[in-house]
Amino acid sequence: MEKLPINCDQIKDQLTDWLSNQLPDAERVTLETHLAQCPACQAEARATRQLWQLMGNVPTPEPSPMARVRFQAMLDTYKETVNTKQESVFNNLLTKLRQLWAPNYAYRLGYSFVLLSIGVAAGYWFSHPGKTTVAVQQQQIDTLSTQVQEMRQMVLLSGLENPSASERLRAVSYTEEINQVDEKVVDALLTTLDNDSNVNVRLVTLEALAKLADNPSVREGLVQSIARQESPLVQSALADIMVKLQEKRSIKPLRQLLHDDNLNHLVKGKIEQSIRDLS
Amino acid sequence: MLQVKAGNMDAMSLLFERHNRPLFGFLFHMTNQREASEDMVQTVFYRMLKYRHTFTGDGEFRSWMYHLARNVLVDHSKQNKRSAHQYDLADIAEKIGGGPAADERIQKEQELDALYGAMGKLSEENREVLVLSRFQELKYEEIARVLNTTEGAIKVRVHRAMNELRKIYLTLENGKTAYKL
Repeated sequence: MEKLPINCDQIKDQLTDWLSNQLPDAERVTLETHLAQCPACQAEARATRQLWQLMGNVPTPEPSPMARVRFQAMLDTYKETVNTKQESVFNNLLTKLRQLWAPNYAYRLGYSFVLLSIGVAAGYWFSHPGKTTVAVQQQQIDTLSTQVQEMRQMVLLSGLENPSASERLRAVSYTEEINQVDEKVVDALLTTLDNDSNVNVRLVTLEALAKLADNPSVREGLVQSIARQESPLVQSALADIMVKLQEKRSIKPLRQLLHDDNLNHLVKGKIEQSIRDLS
Repeated sequence: MLQVKAGNMDAMSLLFERHNRPLFGFLFHMTNQREASEDMVQTVFYRMLKYRHTFTGDGEFRSWMYHLARNVLVDHSKQNKRSAHQYDLADIAEKIGGGPAADERIQKEQELDALYGAMGKLSEENREVLVLSRFQELKYEEIARVLNTTEGAIKVRVHRAMNELRKIYLTLENGKTAYKL
């Protein structure tokens, strides 16, 4: 079957398709047949092919090796941003938990534990010796109070020797504040009772000694003091105390007192009454 | 690329390995700016990641890539309106080196010289189809997909561009020869 004569312009239009192998087989055959016959188109084709081949020779430079590095960096950065965006709540929680166990937090945790244990140890240390401190304090208080007692004794003893009667009265009144009266004080008081020039001092001393009557030496001193007293007030007061203490040993000195001529008759009656009460 | 779309970003590395050279070639032949082309390659791949949801999977990945590359090129030429399309001849001459004979090499250099000049003088549109069809060796059908047009239109455009190129090329060759004489 004879092919239709084809236009040379059409051939020109198909040259590129032909060169790039994009011409359907049938058209390619037609074109190649035409080229074989038409010198004008042959020249045209040669020129085009030349240019086409020249274009094929155009070197394309290689992208620099940095391109790959840059791409990877870009991809990594992008992945990170995407990940942060898309991370679920659970993942967030997981990450935070993991972060909690990261070395940084582990260090802090360890540090806090160390601090805590130091605190506990310190607290224990301070509370334990605290007990001994209390004991020491108690001891100190005891020592102090003993010292205060001793001071009062001293004041009492020295006060009894004071020339002023009122000072001596005050000194005697300290007796009540002294918890444990020792022999020295008792002696001093008995001496005051026997020898003090002031009747009031003697009376107060007597009262003070009466309170200490549990002490046998005080009782004995009181009994012996009966004979030494001259003041009727002190004599009657002594008689009263003897009755109160039911001190039988006092009957003898009281009887002797009755023989005394200087004895006040009022006191005499009182003493007789006392002797009766005692016997 | 569908893997990338599904979230497997590492698949992108594979795509880069496969396509970064042709892409660079396309951008280089379009701009003839080496560094700018490398920058644009990065931009294209970045956009692939960013707009991965727009990849439908209907067309080929390559078409989509050139499609994105064209957009990047448009942005680039907007930013660099002043920069003319000029081939770095010294750079290219270096690449050609090692021909059979010195004379032949010089002749080839001159031919290529003229070709570059002609390419540079082509309109953006014509240069594009020629680069895609001859340098990137894309079929008309594929070029049509990239440019969002029909195969027929591409065919016509390629012919027109080829004729134009030939015309300019011949003028340049003749001019040079004339100058030489």
